[in-house]
Amino acid sequence: MWTTKTFLKKRKGSVLKIVREHYLRDDIWCGSDICTICAHQNEELVLEKNPQPKNKKFPFPHYIVLDTCVVLNQINVLEEDALCNVIVVQTVLEEVKHRSSSVYKRLLDIVGNPNRKFYVFVNEHHKDTYVEREPGEKVNDRNDRAIRVSVAWYESHLMSSQADRRKRDRVKVILLTDDVDSKQKAENEGLHVATISDYVRNVEDCPGLEDRLSQHNTTYELQAGGREPLFPAHFTPSQIHQGIKSGKLLQGSFLASRENFLEGQVNVEGQDKMILVQGRVGLNRAVDGDIVAVKLLPEEEWSVPSHMVLQDEGDDSEDVLEEENAILKSKDERVAKLPTGHIVGIIRRKWRQYCGILQKNPIEGSVRHIFVPAERKVPKVRIETQQADILSSQRIIVTIDSWPRNSRYPLGHFVRALGTIGDKDTENEVLLLEHDVPHSKFSEAVLSCLPKLPWVITEKDVQSRVDLRHVDICSVDPPGCTDIDDALHCKELENGNYDVGVHIADVSHFIRPGTAIDKEAALRATTVYLVDKRIDMVPELLSSNLCSLRGNEERFAFSCIWELTSEAEIVSTRFCKSIIRSRQAMTYEEAQIKIDDLTQNDTLSKSLRGLNSLAKILKKRRIENGALVLASPEIRFQVDSETQDPIEVEAKKLRETNSMVEEFMLLANIYVAIKILEDFPECAMLRRHPKLPVSNFEPFIKAGRNLGFEINSESGKALALSLDNAVRPDNAYFNTMLRILATRCMMQAVYFASGMVQRDEFFHYGLAAPVYTHFTSPIRRYADVIVHRLLAVSIGADVTYPDLLDKRKSHSLCHNLNYRNRMAQYAGRASVALHTHLFFRGKVQDEQGYVLCVRKNALQILIPKYGLEGTLYVSPHKGAKQNVTFVYSEEKQTQKCGDVIFRPFDPVTVQLSLDRSNVQHEKIVLKLVHPQIPGFSVPSLSSVKRKESDENLQEEMEISEVSVSPPIEKISTKKQKVK
Amino acid sequence: MARMDLISFKGLRLDGRRANELRQIRCKMGVFSQPDGSAYLEQGNTKVLAAVYGPHEIRGSRSKALHDKALVNCQYSMATFSTGERKRRPRGDRKSQEMSMHLRQAFQAAIRVEVYPRSQIDIFVEVLQADGGNYCACVNAATLALVDAGIPMTEYVVACTASLANGDVPLVDVSNLEENSGGPNLTVAALPLSGQVALMEMSQRFHLDHLPKVVECALQGCRDIHQILDQAVRRHTEMSGSALGWGNRAQVDL
Amino acid sequence: MAEILLSEAEKTFILHGVEEGFRCDGRMRLDYRPMEVETDVVSHASGSARLRLANTDILVGVKTEIDTPYPERPREGKIEFFVDCSANATPAFEGRGGEELGTEISNSLATAYQSSQTFDLTALCILPGQQCWKLYIDILILECGGNLFDAVSLAVKAALHNTRVPKVKGACLDGGTVDLQLSDDPYDCCRLDVSDAPCLVTLCKIGDHCVVDPTAEEETCSSGSVVIAITEKSLVTSVFKTGVGSFHPQTLIDILKVGQTIGLSVNKALRAALLEEEQQGRKKECFGFLK
Repeated sequence: MWTTKTFLKKRKGSVLKIVREHYLRDDIWCGSDICTICAHQNEELVLEKNPQPKNKKFPFPHYIVLDTCVVLNQINVLEEDALCNVIVVQTVLEEVKHRSSSVYKRLLDIVGNPNRKFYVFVNEHHKDTYVEREPGEKVNDRNDRAIRVSVAWYESHLMSSQADRRKRDRVKVILLTDDVDSKQKAENEGLHVATISDYVRNVEDCPGLEDRLSQHNTTYELQAGGREPLFPAHFTPSQIHQGIKSGKLLQGSFLASRENFLEGQVNVEGQDKMILVQGRVGLNRAVDGDIVAVKLLPEEEWSVPSHMVLQDEGDDSEDVLEEENAILKSKDERVAKLPTGHIVGIIRRKWRQYCGILQKNPIEGSVRHIFVPAERKVPKVRIETQQADILSSQRIIVTIDSWPRNSRYPLGHFVRALGTIGDKDTENEVLLLEHDVPHSKFSEAVLSCLPKLPWVITEKDVQSRVDLRHVDICSVDPPGCTDIDDALHCKELENGNYDVGVHIADVSHFIRPGTAIDKEAALRATTVYLVDKRIDMVPELLSSNLCSLRGNEERFAFSCIWELTSEAEIVSTRFCKSIIRSRQAMTYEEAQIKIDDLTQNDTLSKSLRGLNSLAKILKKRRIENGALVLASPEIRFQVDSETQDPIEVEAKKLRETNSMVEEFMLLANIYVAIKILEDFPECAMLRRHPKLPVSNFEPFIKAGRNLGFEINSESGKALALSLDNAVRPDNAYFNTMLRILATRCMMQAVYFASGMVQRDEFFHYGLAAPVYTHFTSPIRRYADVIVHRLLAVSIGADVTYPDLLDKRKSHSLCHNLNYRNRMAQYAGRASVALHTHLFFRGKVQDEQGYVLCVRKNALQILIPKYGLEGTLYVSPHKGAKQNVTFVYSEEKQTQKCGDVIFRPFDPVTVQLSLDRSNVQHEKIVLKLVHPQIPGFSVPSLSSVKRKESDENLQEEMEISEVSVSPPIEKISTKKQKVK
Repeated sequence: MARMDLISFKGLRLDGRRANELRQIRCKMGVFSQPDGSAYLEQGNTKVLAAVYGPHEIRGSRSKALHDKALVNCQYSMATFSTGERKRRPRGDRKSQEMSMHLRQAFQAAIRVEVYPRSQIDIFVEVLQADGGNYCACVNAATLALVDAGIPMTEYVVACTASLANGDVPLVDVSNLEENSGGPNLTVAALPLSGQVALMEMSQRFHLDHLPKVVECALQGCRDIHQILDQAVRRHTEMSGSALGWGNRAQVDL
Repeated sequence: MAEILLSEAEKTFILHGVEEGFRCDGRMRLDYRPMEVETDVVSHASGSARLRLANTDILVGVKTEIDTPYPERPREGKIEFFVDCSANATPAFEGRGGEELGTEISNSLATAYQSSQTFDLTALCILPGQQCWKLYIDILILECGGNLFDAVSLAVKAALHNTRVPKVKGACLDGGTVDLQLSDDPYDCCRLDVSDAPCLVTLCKIGDHCVVDPTAEEETCSSGSVVIAITEKSLVTSVFKTGVGSFHPQTLIDILKVGQTIGLSVNKALRAALLEEEQQGRKKECFGFLK
């Protein structure tokens, strides 16, 4: 037993000198059947006595030694049965393990196969083959030297056992390496050496092998120990401060791209264009949401967003991604470039806890794993855990701790597990957490603010309110709605005018400023509607009972009453707190039937008809004023009443009554807005929809132009008109799609305090209203509660309080409301997506879809029936082969394959199915059915059934993942309501 | 570091040993002149010095004196530079105090304390370099120092650690790296000739079914170490004997 | 210190001997005892040395850690001495028994190294004001055979000579935190320049005369000593007196002169020994305590 030591230094906050023992042995055998020297056990004799020489270049019996790069790059080749009698030296094995755990696992599988005759030689512990690192020698060079020493050792070791053989029968050892330097050295040392491609090309009887050679000649920078930093250093806070002060740097929030993990934008306050950041260096460890400092590049280095859909699929290796180069190279000179920058520093991290799943390290028993967040904008996180086996089937929460320069992924740690993947409750929890929706139970303090039951209307209440119990009021809502916050009435007056009232639940009566319930509601800001669940803003007693304007129950309301002429001209407006009794709570459908059924002549029916006709006039007038009719695909699930699993999906139907209710709500909102702005010019809470910069419309206009439609986005009215005109007789859905796309170009409407924004920016673009607010849904929106309070003060029905009149407080409140609203919307969409997944479990369906836009490597497809948007990849994944090639034209926005050209808005038929092969990551897969492209498309379902016996079904092609449609603001008062 | 890694599929441990192999042990007796007995021992990269003073009068308060036997006083201390990260204090921390106690336990079982009533024997060990199995190295060094001091013992006290790799392979003489990789760790101080266990301590958990196997592994380690120590003692006696003249005679006899 | 019990007669013998210029072990008054030094004995430490001066046995380990520089000295590293008196040396050191002596020695070293002319701390700076190396010089006294100050200071110098500070290839600020890249080549590291590190020379007053390198027995006869820190350039960086006795100012001046010459030769001898050892190169056999 020999002993020497190796010296290692490790960093762990500080520098440690670590010394480990390293024993060199004389009982490590060569594993060859030829050998007469080594004291082998029988099972250790792996390498054959007479290996078949099957190589034209080396027509003598030989063993092969591989170097690390060969294994890493050409593991596909090695997996073929062609190469046998291979010596894997331990140096290589360890390096491979270090570099790529997946390749390591595959290599071990090969070694474990006795037919392949792969022998692992522990050269590092062999007394004759161990080499010590020389001063000044790089780790790589030392390892290459170690491999060569082993080769030389084998050569001489075997020679001594086969002195009696004929010269040409003697087994030699060949080193396969792609490293030029090492090859040269090996030649100088008199070893047999070849490159892998050289060797493989000359292998006999194995025709397909050469094709499996990996072409990309990535030279892996092999490093043990101290890794080179992958990222440039961040600036110090003082440098950033100075830079921003002097204007050299810009401060903004970083928004990572959902589609391409190597791209993002920085939203700099006060600049209308976002700054593009690309590539690993450009992003420099910024995580979505971080406040960062960016340095703008000189204009000649500006770039364009790549049209690639790119997901991070790399494992834990540290190599430079080819994708990254692809992105950076793909700069097209013709397209207008965007201001591009590099992130140079992080001003404030906005790291939070992230939900996601564990991607287990393929090496059994390892504690280092990769965490894949549910949110694609967030990078993968490296964590250490002992319980990977349990956690790999769970949704887990992880937080990021740091992101050192030499790590491709940030480092974090496991926080807690949410539950089994795929379980609906778990998934709901995930999406609530992921969208930062406060969803815990209401606290005792909050519940103690609720009125005591039974709740009765006292004499005092009656005196302070206008008694409207005699008026025939009714409410119209989606089926199953329990939080009814609006009701209507319409009465023809003797002068032929109409008395029309909008009655809104008087939530501010129950939620007094400053109480616990008020604070909680302000925090939650909105009720969140998921497909199978509702996260209330206020406790259920209020939302579904005391505030809900239920049929035939006396309720407090805040009424807005107009006198309208039959031409819907407003004669007078008044606001009052009231007591009402809704005659009936109707669904849209019931109301529609009542209106349509002319035999019904009760007061309710008449009043509905009156409302309906007035609403039509109002709508017409509004659209004439330039209000936009936009679209977003909305769907409903029919849910199994017991399992709550979705059984059918349908797009939402819109009836006249929907628009009727909507029209009056808009009217109420606008008039309330005018009123409160008049009385509180500084602190009215309003809602504006900024006119968007024309540049936002550019891609949209381009898409339209390619199809021969000129879209004019100069004003809302012009846009509305051009949208109306863009109709294609052959494609009924075309117009809707245009509207969907237009909606996506829009900015979000936001709440604001009137004193914080210039008067000319109050405009609501989508509704073409000079001022607008939210008044009509106080049960589910906190903004409405504030507006109620303001209005109550302005009509003398209530008293004011300091915070209400403080425009800065209002401003920060608006900030929260806007944030929560946005999150609630995303959560709702995520919930729909989740249910779509549940729905597709075990189903395969062919559906009509439309090309929404064309990407460089994919088509975005919209399937109206499910409101679902998916990606149909047209270029193959890394490593996969595809027989057809698509040609992308950025100018024309087309993908061409043979005769088939895909343009935006083209109808296609796609096959939908759920890919459950990875339990952790189910995804909906789109496959092309029509138009047919041989070798790419799949036969339609009906034809597959006929041809089931036909084995030659085309190879399954590309895959995609489905995303819910990106942010769209619904400019309407519609709500998704839930049973 | 994964448990899997402790022993490769080629049957070698991280440092190139097989499961049943000890680290290299080198030792020397009588390194210092002032103590009554001293020894230096290396077990791989773990290096310790032991010094024995006594038997002598009880130091400090006489009340500690035992009327029928000698008091065995042990102190374990580690040089501040002995570990990877610098230690703040050489002794007095919980771990060292526990170690001192364990040392005392093991040696009280082996020293013939009844020969020296009302007196005291001091055993001081100093870890110069820690690389796993510190306690064992200390016990083994102290045994040599006691022999050097000529203090009668029933037999050598020898200590060894053992662990369990891959769930079923017992490993002997665990290094620091293996200690830290999370496996169970069993320390046994034994009187190898009679096969008695003077001290046993275990960290982490493993299934009771594995215990006999691991204990046997540690005991085998103790027996192997005993041989090495015994040889060292004989060699040392020969050397110091030769200085007195009787070594020469032995050579002549040969 | 170690308990040495001497009778009056023994003391008188030593005293008279010194007066005559003869010492018990046959040395002259200004002779040192034989010394052995070996470096790189503790592989876990960045630098180490073991020095044996007759019966005095010292082991020094140097550890490097990353620290923040003192705000008033942003461009300098830090150095800290810690002396641990092992109970191996004498049972009196058991527990906290050796602490007082340890503090005395470490303080004297700190004073001797305080001067900017001795040991260049700026070499330990990584990023001015942000990060520097801190050297922990841990001294372990394994056996006391007298003259601890001299032995410790020589061992420290040898250990510092042996110290290899990891080479920082690049240091920069990454956001607010410091990011270091270390060279991954273990041979690629920085040596420290110890040519100006001081040695302590103890002159021990026995009767009316002074001796150097007193044995433990001689120390018990002494009424006091003067310790002088001297660099190779014969700069005296600190002088202090230990023990209970008193000195005449003229005696002190004489002592300083003697000490200076002795200090120089000791420094020289150490340097020669270290160079000789270094010339054996990487393949040098490490004896440690096995010799």
